[in-house]
Amino acid sequence: MSVVVRAAWRLGAAAVRGRAGRPLSQAATSGGEAEGGGGSGSREAVERLVREHPVVVFMKGSPEQPLCGFSNAVVQILRLHGVEDYRAHDVLQDPDLRQGIKNYSNWPTIPQVYLNGEFVGGCDILLQMHQNGDLVEELKKLGIRSALLDAEKDQDKK
Amino acid sequence: MRGPLLAATTRGLGAMAEGPLARTIRAKLAAALQPTHLEVLDESSRHGGPPGAESHFGVVVVSGRFEGLPPLQRHRLVHAALSAELAGPLHALAIVARTPQQWESDPSVPPRPPCLGGSKQERRGDTGE
Repeated sequence: MSVVVRAAWRLGAAAVRGRAGRPLSQAATSGGEAEGGGGSGSREAVERLVREHPVVVFMKGSPEQPLCGFSNAVVQILRLHGVEDYRAHDVLQDPDLRQGIKNYSNWPTIPQVYLNGEFVGGCDILLQMHQNGDLVEELKKLGIRSALLDAEKDQDKK
Repeated sequence: MRGPLLAATTRGLGAMAEGPLARTIRAKLAAALQPTHLEVLDESSRHGGPPGAESHFGVVVVSGRFEGLPPLQRHRLVHAALSAELAGPLHALAIVARTPQQWESDPSVPPRPPCLGGSKQERRGDTGE
């Protein structure tokens, strides 16, 4: 499993290098539509964000261009499971959201992963869930079939 | 093959040249969790900082206090012990939290993701993750 994850991280790192020239403005926007300061980091604003999709990630950079190794690891793990449709919020674009999300979850670091509106953990925990099969189960509860299940099926056929 | 050897070397170096923040982290985790095994690694140089920058740490905590607790709660215990540091100079913290039984059956540490230079893009003086 760790060999697969390491390979996935190299893919992510290569993707970032290839897109090094992309301006930050093209990165996924956070709840930045809100006007002014404190609004986007308020409990209500964060609550709306974590509930807007079964899979919500608060990260540095975007899935196309992660700006942090830990954030990239989350993106790559989701990609391994075939999860490409999710909400990603770039906290580097919004200091109020960056602080607000930490207050909301009472968790001091980024990235943060929310499944069905519930805080699940950061990169370390998602990696653990990926390695022990819990992530496949949690995705199943959300009606998302992990791509790894199909990969295993293919292997069984050989 | 390189992975574990490099990790072991890094761990060795980390233990030999512990900075003040590393010592604080070690002391606080020891007091809060009475670990049977504890590793505190300054991984700042892997994130673009100079060696000994003490901004990014990885900890391996093996403690009976984690018994019966899911990963989220285990990590929260670690955060609670280091809340002052996390509000201050500790920019990132990778955590491995296992019970003594789990550590005995699996004393390996997952590979760390490579840095993508995010912290270099931020303003100086920007605190916290």
